Amino acid sequence: MIEWIQENWIILAVPVAVFLAFCIVGLWARRVLYNRLDKLLIKSGWGGREVLVQTTRGPFFFWFMLLGAFAAMKFSPLPVEAQVLAEKIITSVFIISIIWLLIILTNRLLNLFLDDIKSPKPPGKFITNGVRVTILLLGVLILADYWGWPLAPVILLLAAAILVAVVASRDTILNIFSGFEIAAAHNIKEGDFIKLSSGEEGYVTDMTWRTLTIKTPDQHTIIVPNSKLVRETVINYGRPLKRASKPFHFYTRLHLKELTGLKARNLTGLVNILKSVPDSVVYYHTHHFLEEHQFLTPEPANDFALWVDDSLDEHVLSEKLANIDTFAYSSLGALKSSIISVIEQYTADNPSSRLVKGENDFHFIKSTSVVLPTPYFASDLREFIEVLRKITIDSLYYHIFESRLRLQKRSNDFSVWIKDSFGEHDLADKIDSLVPYTSTIEAMRSFIIQNIEKRIK
Amino acid sequence: MALDVISQFNNKIEEYQPIVGKNVIDELRLLGNHLAGKRIQNVNSTFSGGGVAEILSRLVPLLNQLGIDARWDVIQGDEAFFDVTKKFHNALHGRDQDISDDDLEIFIQTSRKNIDEMRLNADVYFIHDPQPAMLVSRKPELQGKWIWRCHIDVSHPNQRVWEFLNQYVCKYDAAVFSAPAFSQKLPIRQFLISPSIDPLSDKNKELSSGQIEAVLNKYGLDPAKPMVVQISRFDYLKDPVGVIDAFEMVRKGIECQLVLAGGTATDDPECAVVLDQVRDRADGNPDIKVLLIPPGSDIEINALQRAATVILQKSLKEGFGLTISEALWKSKPVVASAVGGIPLQVINKFTGLLSHSVDGAAYALKQLLSNPDLASQLGKNGREHVKQNFLITRHLKEYLLLFIALDHESDIIYL
Repeated sequence: MIEWIQENWIILAVPVAVFLAFCIVGLWARRVLYNRLDKLLIKSGWGGREVLVQTTRGPFFFWFMLLGAFAAMKFSPLPVEAQVLAEKIITSVFIISIIWLLIILTNRLLNLFLDDIKSPKPPGKFITNGVRVTILLLGVLILADYWGWPLAPVILLLAAAILVAVVASRDTILNIFSGFEIAAAHNIKEGDFIKLSSGEEGYVTDMTWRTLTIKTPDQHTIIVPNSKLVRETVINYGRPLKRASKPFHFYTRLHLKELTGLKARNLTGLVNILKSVPDSVVYYHTHHFLEEHQFLTPEPANDFALWVDDSLDEHVLSEKLANIDTFAYSSLGALKSSIISVIEQYTADNPSSRLVKGENDFHFIKSTSVVLPTPYFASDLREFIEVLRKITIDSLYYHIFESRLRLQKRSNDFSVWIKDSFGEHDLADKIDSLVPYTSTIEAMRSFIIQNIEKRIK
Repeated sequence: MALDVISQFNNKIEEYQPIVGKNVIDELRLLGNHLAGKRIQNVNSTFSGGGVAEILSRLVPLLNQLGIDARWDVIQGDEAFFDVTKKFHNALHGRDQDISDDDLEIFIQTSRKNIDEMRLNADVYFIHDPQPAMLVSRKPELQGKWIWRCHIDVSHPNQRVWEFLNQYVCKYDAAVFSAPAFSQKLPIRQFLISPSIDPLSDKNKELSSGQIEAVLNKYGLDPAKPMVVQISRFDYLKDPVGVIDAFEMVRKGIECQLVLAGGTATDDPECAVVLDQVRDRADGNPDIKVLLIPPGSDIEINALQRAATVILQKSLKEGFGLTISEALWKSKPVVASAVGGIPLQVINKFTGLLSHSVDGAAYALKQLLSNPDLASQLGKNGREHVKQNFLITRHLKEYLLLFIALDHESDIIYL
């Protein structure tokens, strides 16, 4: 063996020299080219400079080594068949290295640039995996073609695999295309308050190429697929309004009628019992019709006025009682005193008190209220009106009637919050001036919403 | 048996949302959360026939859907026991009724048997009507809260029966009545909760004109002729003979037909006697149809109500009179006696017309049959009134509130 090398060293030295020459040229070319390229990229200010340079620097030299090996083969003493096989292997390694480099490079560049896209956030993993698979497939096809393998079954197999993948992820693909549409339109941004025609509403807290996330006024998180979003009619109310330091928490009040077992058959009995019953009885008989007869406008008068009219035929007294302005009293005690005073004044002027007709006794009923928090909060006026649209009349009733009269607050809860949180005195006063006893609760709801909408336009 | 009955009516709570609104359903869930896991045992005397069984069959599954462990059991009794409880029923309604010591003894013996044999295990025992009222005797042993739910008009009860019952009623934690006039001087808390109708039931759901026509054809009714309809059990207290009297006064001047349709209940042995009397009275008048509707024919009842021009409820006494709410829900003009819970549903001249006599009923019928615009407006108001106050969702809400209120004494309860 040693003898053979001593005799043929020139034959061996030539390909080694050729290989080394290519390596030296490769090192030199890399130095020169990368210096120029780096300067050029720095000048252009392109963000991917560092990734491009660092990722391709190693493979660049490797390709010169492959080129050197390829050229060395031409001068080698190997038989022609062996040379052809070696060249094919070297070329295949070259193709694989190109594919490998492209995968790494695109992966790094995509990670770099996708992170810069704030809204909607692209589905990073989905895109990088997609690009990786595509390059890999192209590489396989090129290699197959290079080695002369039959391509038709490979392409057929690939087409079938792609079809299956598309069918399996059709929703995702649909969402991504919808995400492109939303991003291109620039109609929705994070922080906007939106309302979908299907009812979902709230502030947009996150946007990706697949979904949009909404935080609702009742503190729920709704994730809307982009494909649904593009199909819906969306009202965008825009950026948030001034936020209250303390959100308004909506409560509701549900009442139960408790029978006292007390009943009156004439005015004297009515007054005597009225003097002894708790305020919750007065509250019931002056307010329950507002809810129970919601559909009637004008609503019937209070129970005392109705009873003296229907059952005692005391029409004048009925009118006096109906005309007592409940709104003018800040406590039920004061309202009760006024009712008693009107009846006593009337009976003093008209001493012959009539007995009830038939069996229509006045039955004293007490209102037992259960107050409970709803899941709804509002931190600004837009959230406030959206919650107002959906709460029950019981909740409205609680914040408008109960707070003022039964709980003896200076005003209704809405006006107090609007004034204290936003300094919106005119708006608060307007809502406060609403006389809740002369319209239906639904009409009041509309009145409040309209006035706030006008203010925040 | 209870399971069989309940499984027929397992409407989902969400199905009521299109009718009453999402906010109302949300409110029910909110209340349900506060009562989650509470065991409520309902006890009455029958699984079928009459308003109590009908309401329980629907309320119990809805309570369960809200997270409450609600159950329903019935007491056992023989024919003699139910004869006595029927007498009690009539006597509590104020009718003259001879109640002997033997009757009381039968009631006590059967009740004792039920007290011994019935499995009671709950946080709240919800006892319906007088038949199972004596079960409260087990209160010292079982503890829990006991509610007596009175579905009948006890505004003028026979004193002997009331005093007998009262000794048990006073042992409850609370009583529930359907109308203010039914309340009594009791040492326990009394609540007012009106019963309700289920808008999704066969008796109240929307029907096609084809379905209505088919029922009219089946009973040989003329769809072209104005129709006055009274739907109720054949019971003296529903005054079916008075209905015929009023109709005959109207018929003299207005072309119309009368339909008296109703069924029987397993705990009401008197129905057959009344039915015979009504058939005798109507005999020979081609414009009067007396229809004995078998149990479970709710769609037929629904169709008859929807086909009616005016619906009449000329009761002499009435617990609540749910047939009124059924009629109003179908936007029908109603003429009804001002008894029991009817005035809560029929606000005179707003949601219908009230009457106090056969003449009054006849006069009101003439007004409505001759003034379609007035009839239509009353019907429209009536539907809204029922929507707000007499649907099952309101009933459910008030039961939930009642279970909460039992644990609190104050007028305002903060949860």
